[in-house]
Amino acid sequence: MSKSSVRYIVDDVDAAIEFYCGPLDFELQMHPDPAFAMLTRGDLRLVLVSPVGPEHPGGGSRPMPDGTKQQPGGWNRIMLQVADLEAVVEELRPQEVRFRNEITTGVGTKQILVQDPAGNVVELFEPIRREARLNG
Amino acid sequence: MIPDPLDALRIPSVPVEPRPAFADSLWRRIAGEEATVAQSATVRYFVGDLDQAIAFYRDRLGFEKELHPSPTFAMLYRGDLRLLLSVPGEPHALPDGTLPEPGGWNRISLRVSDLHSTVAALRAEGVTLRREIATGVAVDTALVADPSGNLVELFEPRAGYHERTTTKE
Repeated sequence: MSKSSVRYIVDDVDAAIEFYCGPLDFELQMHPDPAFAMLTRGDLRLVLVSPVGPEHPGGGSRPMPDGTKQQPGGWNRIMLQVADLEAVVEELRPQEVRFRNEITTGVGTKQILVQDPAGNVVELFEPIRREARLNG
Repeated sequence: MIPDPLDALRIPSVPVEPRPAFADSLWRRIAGEEATVAQSATVRYFVGDLDQAIAFYRDRLGFEKELHPSPTFAMLYRGDLRLLLSVPGEPHALPDGTLPEPGGWNRISLRVSDLHSTVAALRAEGVTLRREIATGVAVDTALVADPSGNLVELFEPRAGYHERTTTKE
């Protein structure tokens, strides 16, 4: 009902679906168009779109009025809590994905930045202290 | 009465009003009980000016400020969405020293009940509209930019919009 939505721009929706629905545990809700898919994970709804032309019926990934095309990438990201970060990272390594860093340990969490096949970043974290789970 | 010119320099005192769920979790933590794991969707945005960003998300888009424990970090909520605002800095640097920056096209998407009036109000307040209202298959959308240039998508469902009401186990 009150899901939070995030839109990620990808160049290949099918490759992205495979990535997010693997070890990251997203569930595919709909994929009605080659340029659009909707996934969920807990309260997060992730909308994956590939850039389309100005006449495409899907409104979200059309170019800007000045013609600028939307692209994957950047630093803003979704943050996903996982139960066992090392295990998830090992599962992801054989795939065609890249990590921007290695696992780092903070005060309350271990985390790592992984890129989806299009180059968008996802922050994975595992709480290592009970208190850290409150703030994620 | 003549206003005290030093008023402009004084920091206003802001009452702390944590959300009930947060206060409850905090209380149970203090009591040594197992805290509930927050399932809120969490997103991190990088911003250049944290105070400007907090004001934008709070005053323009209806977020609540939950935490602002340091000059480089704040946590905001809007419904079930938890938005972390971070100022790029050493803790976020990659091994090669690269620092994150605001911007990009990936964005949070916020549901509003009346997109036209929301957009009109934001425009009147001087908010940068990155793209006018576009009609899509199931939603109408508009794109605004926060003061650092991060995008926020606003959407209003159209006829035929579908949203699951329950989550599969």
